[in-house]
Amino acid sequence: MLQFITRRLGISLLIVVLAVSLMFGMIHMIPGDPTSVILGPRATPELRAEMNERMGLDKPIAVQLGRFLGKVARGDLGEDPFSRRPVTEIVFEQLPFTLVLVFTAIGAATLLGVPLGCFSAIHRDSWLDRASALMSVAFIAIPSFVVALYALLLFSVRWRWFPAIGAGESGDLADQAHHLVLPALALGLGWIGYIARLVRSSMLEVMEENHVRTARAFGLPERIVIGRYALRIAILPTVTILGLGIGTMMSGALFAEIVFSRPGIGKLLHEAVMTRNYPVVMGSVLVTTVFFVISTLVSDILNAILDPRLRGAGGK
Amino acid sequence: MIKKSGFKVPFVNRRDFLKQSTLASLGMVAASLPATAWSVDGDILHIRNYVDIKSLDPARMLSGGEGVIGNTIFLNLVQFRPGDSWNWDLDAAEHFEQLDETHYAFRLRPGIQFTNGFGEMTSEDVKYSLERIMDPAMKSPNAGDMGSLSHVEITGRYSGVLVLHSPYAAFIPIGLCAMAGGIQSKKALESVGGQFAIEPPACSGPYRFVSWQSQRKTVLERNPDWSGQPAAFREIHIHALNDIKAAELAYEAGELDCTQTSIESVEVFRRAMPPSSRLDVISSLRYYWVGMNMEHPKLTDIRVRQAVQYGIDVEAVIEAAWFGLATPATGIIAPGLIGHREKADVPLAGDRDKARRLLADAGVELPLKLTLSLPAQSLEMTAGQVIQWSLAKIGIEIDLDPQDNATLITMGMESAGDRWMDVQLHLQNFFMLGDPYYATEWFISKQVGVWNWERFRSEEFDNLHHIAMELNDSAERDKIYQRMQHLMEQTGCYRFLAHSVESLLSRTWLQPAYRADGFPMYREFKLSGPDQA
Repeated sequence: MLQFITRRLGISLLIVVLAVSLMFGMIHMIPGDPTSVILGPRATPELRAEMNERMGLDKPIAVQLGRFLGKVARGDLGEDPFSRRPVTEIVFEQLPFTLVLVFTAIGAATLLGVPLGCFSAIHRDSWLDRASALMSVAFIAIPSFVVALYALLLFSVRWRWFPAIGAGESGDLADQAHHLVLPALALGLGWIGYIARLVRSSMLEVMEENHVRTARAFGLPERIVIGRYALRIAILPTVTILGLGIGTMMSGALFAEIVFSRPGIGKLLHEAVMTRNYPVVMGSVLVTTVFFVISTLVSDILNAILDPRLRGAGGK
Repeated sequence: MIKKSGFKVPFVNRRDFLKQSTLASLGMVAASLPATAWSVDGDILHIRNYVDIKSLDPARMLSGGEGVIGNTIFLNLVQFRPGDSWNWDLDAAEHFEQLDETHYAFRLRPGIQFTNGFGEMTSEDVKYSLERIMDPAMKSPNAGDMGSLSHVEITGRYSGVLVLHSPYAAFIPIGLCAMAGGIQSKKALESVGGQFAIEPPACSGPYRFVSWQSQRKTVLERNPDWSGQPAAFREIHIHALNDIKAAELAYEAGELDCTQTSIESVEVFRRAMPPSSRLDVISSLRYYWVGMNMEHPKLTDIRVRQAVQYGIDVEAVIEAAWFGLATPATGIIAPGLIGHREKADVPLAGDRDKARRLLADAGVELPLKLTLSLPAQSLEMTAGQVIQWSLAKIGIEIDLDPQDNATLITMGMESAGDRWMDVQLHLQNFFMLGDPYYATEWFISKQVGVWNWERFRSEEFDNLHHIAMELNDSAERDKIYQRMQHLMEQTGCYRFLAHSVESLLSRTWLQPAYRADGFPMYREFKLSGPDQA
């Protein structure tokens, strides 16, 4: 198991370096001079030169990348050229909002989707199964930004049940939870359907397995058969998908953050790209990449815990 | 007090109908709300700001969104009066007088206190505040706003003289009244190393800074040390919402008391006004034009450029993109300012016959294909499409080239590489301040390859710009700036389109206050009287 984790960590580090380097190259290829965007029309040539030097833009791209990676190794993500605040501070200020949103969305999707999928599998071909299938596919088909917009119009503007903007007052958990409902719904609704269909399909497959039939033949209660014998195996693909899903949701969170005007790393990154704020772009990309890699790593480890076959093969 | 510009009900063609019915469906949702009377949320005013602030230091402020907050928590020596003119009033000063072309005397009101125990405002603070903007070590991007300010001489505890190197006619409107003119406490700033980012060490206005949460809001509260007329609200919460549609929805959801709206929403809100709300449409100083790179091989012939001028129907552009709300531009200087022209040289509707003749005289093979680079925003794209339609009628095929702002903003800059060589037509807009100097300075020869993407060079224009900058005679300046815009238009490089509008939605219990260009002045916001609610 240790060997498995170590190997995965090594691969993860390589993935982060490659992703960040690729993003670095891409952002520098986009036309647009960050100095002009940052300083505006009043900047003198001397100010521009000073800003270019401060952002390291006067050096070749390879040197800039090397410097950036070197700083990252020392825990320094650079400085925001607008406010001169450390990028680390800026990014980690916003990250918790996105994490809370993502975990709430995926948590809710799992809590609803897994039972729904189990239920559908157990009552296969019943009208409940068909209704569940219809709902699941509908949830998957509707784009999350459409859900966000209509949720905002209906629940905030029309009925005033939920707030339209912001993340709630600091220190007021109830208020923050209230602000979380609609964005999490928008982000997680499609995943409810996706998880439900995945679990249903896995359960149907696993419930035909010999060990499940044997468990039933021994007279074990159905809930034990489903929960301990069938679901434990059937959940494996879902765990893998959830690991990827958490990472994917980090980018999906951008829509929810913009529509609901929530703080978060997606919105921060979007604004940074639009203003060519290279240090904040790179800091945000680095953190989200690391997070994505961690979530897939955790998912792989969980899979290995749940499925001993994976441990024995060294995680291959 | 608030000027409402007249608007025409636009002729509803198919394009308008499709656009407006989509927006109207959003409005109908809002209109079905019960007619609830609104009141202040516990004396807290909730307002939208279009940016998340980066700095409130007058030496570092870069956007109007920061200036709006700075104007609320800092005093200037003098300040624009809210309303529809560019007159200014005394602010921190109880006396202000121009002694001659390069000297301005001031005397502060005694008893103005800085917050956080930093004591009374004195002439030392004025000297420190203004001179630091000009200090090369500060590297302030706002130093240009102060023009030729040399230093401040102190003549007494509350009095002094502002000394300029050379005359600078825009010193008051662009220097002293603007965000760089906010007076800081010398003691307070020195205690934090001479500059600050977000949290000011001391305030002097009717409100003081409380907190800032990144990407969320800035909170101001009534300043207990303020000795003037008490501030109307206990707190002001300024929400950073850069998406204007999100701000409109937040207003309709009852979470904002005042916000800007998009141009296309004006009709929607006029037809389905949220309960207890008013909409003010105020002419802004932002000007839009189509520029032509005169050094591009396809545009070197002045007759081709003039054909483009005469081929564009400005009235149709305004009707489609601004729903008829904007003021047609006769130049780069808006109505109400010195130098505004009553009429452009090229008629607003254009002249297609003349355009065709010009192209024929130039011997251009039709169709002539040109590219129009423009921001990828709804208003500009609509304007671009109308321009495309308009020029197609004279044999010019326009290829629209939408770009995001950061890409577009440097397209014509030589410092950003060779892209400037490919610029043909571009749809641009610049912001302005309350003096025409701020408009013309981007079109002088020195700006070629920087902000002058038309690459327009004129010795006469440059000379007039410098003369007008130093002249205090308003009548003479008026003639000069009119001449300058005529020179611009004569080159064929400019087709002036519109002076835009600001559309502002607010509660009827609120008495907002705006500068003549729609810039909100939060410290002047008050509660309406019963007859105005």
